[in-house]
Amino acid sequence: MIAAFRAEWTRLAQRRLLLPGAIGLLAVAFGGAALVLSAAAPAGRTDAEALRPTIESLTASGGGTEIFRSAAALGGTLVFILFVGLFSVEYSRGTYRTMLLHQPRRVALLSGKLAGLLAFAALVLAALEVAMWTAGRLEASAFDVGTARWTSAGALGSALGDYGMVMLWVTGYAVFGMTVAILVRSVAPALAIAVAWAGPLEHLVNRAWSPAREWFPGLLLEAVGVGGTGGVTATRAAVTAVAYIVVFCVITATVFSRRDIAA
Amino acid sequence: MSDEFAIELDGLTKRYGDRTAVDALRAAIPPRTVAGVIGPNGAGKTTMMAMLLGLIRPTAGSGRVLGESITRPERYAGRVGALLEGPALWPGLTGAENLRVLARLGRHDERAIPQLLALVGLADRADDRFGRYSLGMKQRLGIAAALLGRPELVVLDEPTNGLDPAGIREMRRLIATIAQEARTVLVSSHILSEIEQVCDWLIVIDGGRALYTGPATAFAGQTAPRVTLAPLHPEDLPALAEVIGRRGLIYERDSDRLSVRLDGGDARAEAAILNRASIDAGIDLADVHIERPTLESAYLDRVRAAA
Repeated sequence: MIAAFRAEWTRLAQRRLLLPGAIGLLAVAFGGAALVLSAAAPAGRTDAEALRPTIESLTASGGGTEIFRSAAALGGTLVFILFVGLFSVEYSRGTYRTMLLHQPRRVALLSGKLAGLLAFAALVLAALEVAMWTAGRLEASAFDVGTARWTSAGALGSALGDYGMVMLWVTGYAVFGMTVAILVRSVAPALAIAVAWAGPLEHLVNRAWSPAREWFPGLLLEAVGVGGTGGVTATRAAVTAVAYIVVFCVITATVFSRRDIAA
Repeated sequence: MSDEFAIELDGLTKRYGDRTAVDALRAAIPPRTVAGVIGPNGAGKTTMMAMLLGLIRPTAGSGRVLGESITRPERYAGRVGALLEGPALWPGLTGAENLRVLARLGRHDERAIPQLLALVGLADRADDRFGRYSLGMKQRLGIAAALLGRPELVVLDEPTNGLDPAGIREMRRLIATIAQEARTVLVSSHILSEIEQVCDWLIVIDGGRALYTGPATAFAGQTAPRVTLAPLHPEDLPALAEVIGRRGLIYERDSDRLSVRLDGGDARAEAAILNRASIDAGIDLADVHIERPTLESAYLDRVRAAA
């Protein structure tokens, strides 16, 4: 697994991607912060089901990093699609075959690849949280959001909590994406399934059958991302999402280790 | 099964529903040979190789690679390098970066990468992205990837596919270089002339079954040589046929010449006797030559016989 992790990390940590990556990260930070700040409304004017933060919560000590968590939650479908693409493209290119010739322990290969991607995501998200906190601080006055408490002692605890929730959210989408990719094996159908699942499917079911929000993996991750909704608390959503992650990992490992890799 | 062979297959079978891709294949390859797997497209060459490498599970039968069962590829993967179904690498990474990723994945020595790139003639293109390589360069990088970790056994599936004549010649040189380092090389191709020039051991497959396994020279030797005689005047063909018939030989007419099959004896001596007999019969010969059996003629004979 460590060898697969190192190999994945070698692929991701390309020095030539550093500058464009940094520019992209700053653009996301400033754009995302502006989007979240502009969407925030006073507590009385948002319902409990709404995924957007309130002016009051943004003014609190954890407001600076709530921007980061809320902005991340907006990109759930994109993150899901990204991971589906990252895992399924290896089938399309035939690179699973190449990798298995050098690392035939299939579960170790897949888990090392996932760990490498998540470690890279952890680094990017840490940088994004700092950048988004900074961007929020610069932009907050334009949206009448106070930032005096963003540098209090409690803000650090909130920052760590928000970072943990976003990492769980990303891990969930990474594992779900990996599962879809390994089961489907082809980029286009895997992406179509991902878009349909994370987009309309779960939300349509949720409208017709409200308990769906407590059980559907995409809706649970959404709830994790925004720190809980009126229908499901953040803790309940996180615990159920972790259970899903474990089950999906077992399914994926079983299928990948037993399947012929002809392509 | 014994350890005297680098590869041993015993009744190896792979079925996909009703279709049998590899059918009870039995074969053995001694170490330090260049073994060619020949057969038409769809004969089961790639499926057989994929089973050897642990990518495809056999439906039935067993096999051993470097003394280890093919059901445990992790026990021998570090000693085997392979290029299967063309080079599949990451287009956004450079040639050197691709090799570094695979070296780390297989825990191979990364210091060997520059030498490997030089061996395959890519030292000056090491920092170019794989996606910008020509097909020949991609194939060569795929071979460099297969040579990471100095494997004892190198498996190359159709390494000349899509290459131009110069690329094919270069690939042949590369295979010979690999074989010189006392390694076993298993190479498949449907271009028989390519195999003939580099291999000393053969596995002939058709319809998923092995038609022949053994030394390459013995395979071609099983087909008799021919003497071809062409009279200067085509109207002498019946008289020439009579001369051949008197020697008790069987011939086939091919346009304005007669091809005589020799089932034994010295082909050169027989050609001289036929030449003398033709002159004695007043027939001027424009051409007399011996056709030694080629891998292609032997292969076609064997496939016809199997059919």
